[in-house]
Amino acid sequence: MATLNDLKISEVKLSEGEGGKWGMVIDQDICTGCQACVAACAMENNISFVGEEDSGYGRSMHWIRIERFWEGEYPEVKMTPNQPMLCQQCGSAPCEPVCPAFATVHSQAEKLNLQVYNRCVGTRYCANNCPYQVRSFNWRDYKRPEPLANQLNPDVTVRRRGVMEKCTFCIQRIHKAQDQAKAEGREVMDGEFTTACAQACPANAITFGRTDDPRSLVSQLAKRRGHGAKHLEELGTLPNVTYFKGG
Amino acid sequence: MSEKFSRRDFLKLAGMGAATTAVLTGCGPASRYVKREPYQQMPEYNYNGQSTYYATTCRECAAGCGLVIRTIQGRAIKTEGNANHPLNLGKTCARGQATLHGLYNPNRVRGPIKHARGDRLYAKANDPFNDNFDDAEPNMSWDEALQTVADALTKYKPEEIGFLMGMAPDHLFDLVTDLANATGINAPVRFGALGMFESRATLSKAAETLFGEARMPFFDVGGAQVVLSFGANFLETWLSPVSYTRGFASLRQAETKMRGKLVQFEARMSATGGKADEWVPLRPGTEALVALAIGRLASEIRGGAMPRVFSSVDPIDVASKSGVKLEALEHIAAMFANSTGALAIPGGAALGQSNGLAVAEAVLALNALADNFGKPGGVYFSPLAPSQTEYQRPASAKEMQDFVQKMKDGKFKALFIHGVNPVFELPASMDFKGALANVEQVISFATFPDETAAEADFIFPDHHGLESWGYQRVVTGSDLPVLSGAQPVVAPYYDTRAAADVLISAAQLAGGSFAQALPFKDEVEFLRGKVSALMGEANGSFSAMDAVAFMASFQQFGGWWKMSDGRTAPSAADALNQNVKGDAAEFAGEGEFFFIPFVSPTLAEAGANKPWLQELPDPTTTVMWNTWLEMNPETAHELHIEYDDVVRVVSEAGAVELPVYVYPAIRPDTVAMPFGQGHTAYGRYAEGRGVNPADLFGGHFNEAGDLAFAGMKVKIEKTGKKRPLSRLESMMGVYGVGLGEEH
Repeated sequence: MATLNDLKISEVKLSEGEGGKWGMVIDQDICTGCQACVAACAMENNISFVGEEDSGYGRSMHWIRIERFWEGEYPEVKMTPNQPMLCQQCGSAPCEPVCPAFATVHSQAEKLNLQVYNRCVGTRYCANNCPYQVRSFNWRDYKRPEPLANQLNPDVTVRRRGVMEKCTFCIQRIHKAQDQAKAEGREVMDGEFTTACAQACPANAITFGRTDDPRSLVSQLAKRRGHGAKHLEELGTLPNVTYFKGG
Repeated sequence: MSEKFSRRDFLKLAGMGAATTAVLTGCGPASRYVKREPYQQMPEYNYNGQSTYYATTCRECAAGCGLVIRTIQGRAIKTEGNANHPLNLGKTCARGQATLHGLYNPNRVRGPIKHARGDRLYAKANDPFNDNFDDAEPNMSWDEALQTVADALTKYKPEEIGFLMGMAPDHLFDLVTDLANATGINAPVRFGALGMFESRATLSKAAETLFGEARMPFFDVGGAQVVLSFGANFLETWLSPVSYTRGFASLRQAETKMRGKLVQFEARMSATGGKADEWVPLRPGTEALVALAIGRLASEIRGGAMPRVFSSVDPIDVASKSGVKLEALEHIAAMFANSTGALAIPGGAALGQSNGLAVAEAVLALNALADNFGKPGGVYFSPLAPSQTEYQRPASAKEMQDFVQKMKDGKFKALFIHGVNPVFELPASMDFKGALANVEQVISFATFPDETAAEADFIFPDHHGLESWGYQRVVTGSDLPVLSGAQPVVAPYYDTRAAADVLISAAQLAGGSFAQALPFKDEVEFLRGKVSALMGEANGSFSAMDAVAFMASFQQFGGWWKMSDGRTAPSAADALNQNVKGDAAEFAGEGEFFFIPFVSPTLAEAGANKPWLQELPDPTTTVMWNTWLEMNPETAHELHIEYDDVVRVVSEAGAVELPVYVYPAIRPDTVAMPFGQGHTAYGRYAEGRGVNPADLFGGHFNEAGDLAFAGMKVKIEKTGKKRPLSRLESMMGVYGVGLGEEH
């Protein structure tokens, strides 16, 4: 039987990162930074709001955020293209090997980076190791005064204090579409469903779909525009989100 | 329901819930087959885990986007865009997403209330996580409430009765208009702060001067190649942001054409300006001059006779007055002149100045030069909605001042207020609150305990938008004429009642001409009458054999629209022969800083009570939960002001104190501040948070009667206090913070 030492590191990487399944293309040239995706994500995924003080301490729970940077000084100042930043669903995710509780695991079926809430013991190692800074930690039990809790999406677990969370690529929607397709005896069609952020985006800057299917819109877009970039690719994380800077 | 229930309590309650919640929603029009059930009990139409979807119309702003609300067992879970709706094609903005936080807001008016003016409508709870029900208890029955309305209608002369309503041209506006026409009460006045900041009166007045028709223009951003935007914040809150954002996306990334360019002229970089290819920080008040200069330079490039409108302007003079280099003007003019799809848009703070009308006219004249009227990528008149015969503009600030004056003069004895919060939205200097003292009876239909409701004698709460019937005309943003439909997606949570129902029932009680004006059983019968009038219209999005089927389809599809382009081309005949006064704007007040108030892109005028909107970072500053003053780093350095230093902003009309955000993309002689916070009521998430720039507005108007909200100069005074702003962005590395080289 082959031991771990028999495998070269590069082979390990290859097998782990071998072909993503779900992926996203984000066009920064048309993203207006309007925050519709952020709100849609919060509503879909039962994300708590944390209030002014905690958000000031950087404890806000956004699973997706819009980054913007400044270039130059007045009057030659420019806002860099808005950059929606969310979990990149790395093929070789730095958050995974550091979790002592196997709460941060890779899904073999969906090739996604999962967060298993009831395994999470809150060491926050994964957030420390995430180069994209997209994991958020429940520092408290953030209550939802009644009747706000009526809005909770029953398809998504409500998290409590001491648990790490992050973007799931709306895995509840993936599963729902798969169940539906299975019941009808067919494959999930491209565009049959999408993530909450992509669904809301007024500019259509976010496209979600199967990156392993060359006919899908997300693959077509990546091919057509050709100059997409993956963030911090040099770290070998094999992200599944492609960005177009545009311009 | 608290989270401290034991399992036994839960089971008891679940059993009880089946008995108590299975009540249909009253015998009124809201009764439909929607009810809240405990999650373990499946009504017939629901399978475990399956959602039911209802199409309706978004009420968060007056644009009228179509929504599909996902519900599970009678609870609204998620807002999604209606993919078939011609205005938004399945998309929503952040405010549309957060509409559920309005529906489930912990502070709502729970039933009819009689209260002393100024009394609180909920206990003050600054803790956003407080779980107590602390709203004022309803203290009247609806029968008493209806009698109160009927008495108010009959006790006073018709001309002493006024209606003040929100900006959306909806079914309630039609109902009150019908009532007014039949009984002689004052015609309803529509107003909204968004309309004030958009200067809608200026846009239609400029269209009237140049094209002979007072209509709402539509700018086809998507089809253009070069867009010059003079202050128009069309990617944020302007007119119809979702539709304009779609236009912007196709300006940039249409398959069939080159990537288009956006040039934004404004003194303070807005979120829209941040997306521009070129941002031109001109001196506030010189927008008209710059537009005319670009027109002149572009005409020179194009050759031929110089149009009269551009003939008297001197680009060199404009360059020195506006602070925009002549080369920059020439470069932009060349881009404009040489493009096949040039478009110019007036909007935002550029119109909210003393010369706002001249700005609008000068910018529309640029479009005449580009000869783009009625062409793809050009200027159109927005389609009139089905069965609409003329553009119904909301009241301008000047008209609101006249309205307030009538109140002060005691001409209104009874005032009904629905869908608008004038105590918060109107300039404080207009003193709407003070004028209410001269109105004998003020009846508010507010859903939320807002500032105006707190000053009313009675609050007869309307349902939340997601609990209501209705329709709304789409004013602009779509090429098709659209009547957007609304229906309840959940049963009303509280003892609220549709304002239309209240008026219909009260009119019956009042009898006489009132009863004759509104001879309906309820709101739905009224709606059915209005909607089924469209049945005979050709080329509709659907047709039906009878009124019942037609109404059912209207609900199912979320509205009715014509399938043919309803936009019309403005007549360009005289547009270039106008004489536009190109003087720079005049500024009121003593201070040294130009002052630019802008509508918060995430909160807008009514979003402050929705906690997730509060926690959305502002697109440009990333500030959450507060108001800030934007100041250029150079200016801040000179004044020895740092991030989070609290300053006092003094205008001729008032003063406010707020923390500074050092903003790299604003002119050194300008400060800016968002509108949307500064509530003194409106629920726990809104109250006591930030400040309201309306407290600074003086009573100056432009020639079209819109408020000159950006026509002010203010003084900045240091207070020595600090108030940290909650921001998403990190301070590290910003201006050397954390690197030992702060300046």
